[in-house]
Amino acid sequence: MTQIFRLPSYLGIGLVYAYRYTLGALFPGGCKYHPSCSQYAIDALREYGLVRGVILAGWRLLRCNPWSLGGVDYVHQQRFFR
Amino acid sequence: MILFSILTPLEDLLRNILEWFHGTIGLPWAWAIVALTVVVRLLMVPLAVKQIHSMQAMQAHMPEMKAIQQRYKNDKQKRNEELMKFYRDNRVNPAAPCLPLLVQFPVFIALYLVLRQFSKHPPAGDLSWFGGLVPSIVEHANAHWSGYLLLAIYVGSQLASTYFMSTTMDKTQRTLMMILPVAFVPVIVNFPVGLVIYWVTTNLWTVGQGIVTRQLMPKPQPPPKRSSRTAPKSEPKSQDGAPSPSEAKPAAPAAPPRRVKRKKKRARR
Repeated sequence: MTQIFRLPSYLGIGLVYAYRYTLGALFPGGCKYHPSCSQYAIDALREYGLVRGVILAGWRLLRCNPWSLGGVDYVHQQRFFR
Repeated sequence: MILFSILTPLEDLLRNILEWFHGTIGLPWAWAIVALTVVVRLLMVPLAVKQIHSMQAMQAHMPEMKAIQQRYKNDKQKRNEELMKFYRDNRVNPAAPCLPLLVQFPVFIALYLVLRQFSKHPPAGDLSWFGGLVPSIVEHANAHWSGYLLLAIYVGSQLASTYFMSTTMDKTQRTLMMILPVAFVPVIVNFPVGLVIYWVTTNLWTVGQGIVTRQLMPKPQPPPKRSSRTAPKSEPKSQDGAPSPSEAKPAAPAAPPRRVKRKKKRARR
């Protein structure tokens, strides 16, 4: 049963992998953080499901801007959802 | 489809810019696309400048970073973590952020939509350069050899820009990123010629920016004024003073043998 509830987040994870091997490869870039934004998105989707995972990943992307410092930032360090 | 309608304003903007370049300036359509690409990249130059500054600042910390890389050379995870921590502590970060990259995608998709519109309702003017912008490369290449040339330039520019952009990645990932563009060629041949022109231009811009960045990087020792900023300078100086005075870095607690290693690494760079 729990597997069924997880299906949407698997969809999201699949999309991130698809991005990685298509657009991500064709528009090369780096990431200021460890783990990288795409890895963070995968972890977030795994741990928090589709909706909250997308929110966490989106917030991470917004933070990965030229004015931030970057650094180490794992999903389990987030403070949005308890 | 919802995504496409969100992009409509951007589409109109791109179309207007293209038409302005073509109609008012008088560029052929293909060069109008090149000009449009240059405009997009010019808007992103401030970001590049910021990154170059950060890389320059990082150059002063090179020995410490090499030491970290050496220490965790067998543990990729730990190494990245320590490096990122180090960047943060020293308020430098050589890596490009993800967000500006994502900003490029809507432009790319919107341009694709504009070109698709062009194929349905061809605009006035000469579309002959490069055999017209709208047919896919494969169609064009069958008619004219320049299609193959464009494809070859595309692959070359893609590899070069990957080479310049992926400096922060590890080796396996980098190799994969170099192989993928080549593997995508069968897909890309079906893209409109105009889109590939945009792509080639933006890649070449990336390469040019990369070369300029490398030129601006000081290869030798950081200038001595930098060391005045570091507080614990007096301690290492009193310890090993003579051998390399300008290298008085805060990473001095490292053992002397490591210093030798660092020098070798730098020489190889």
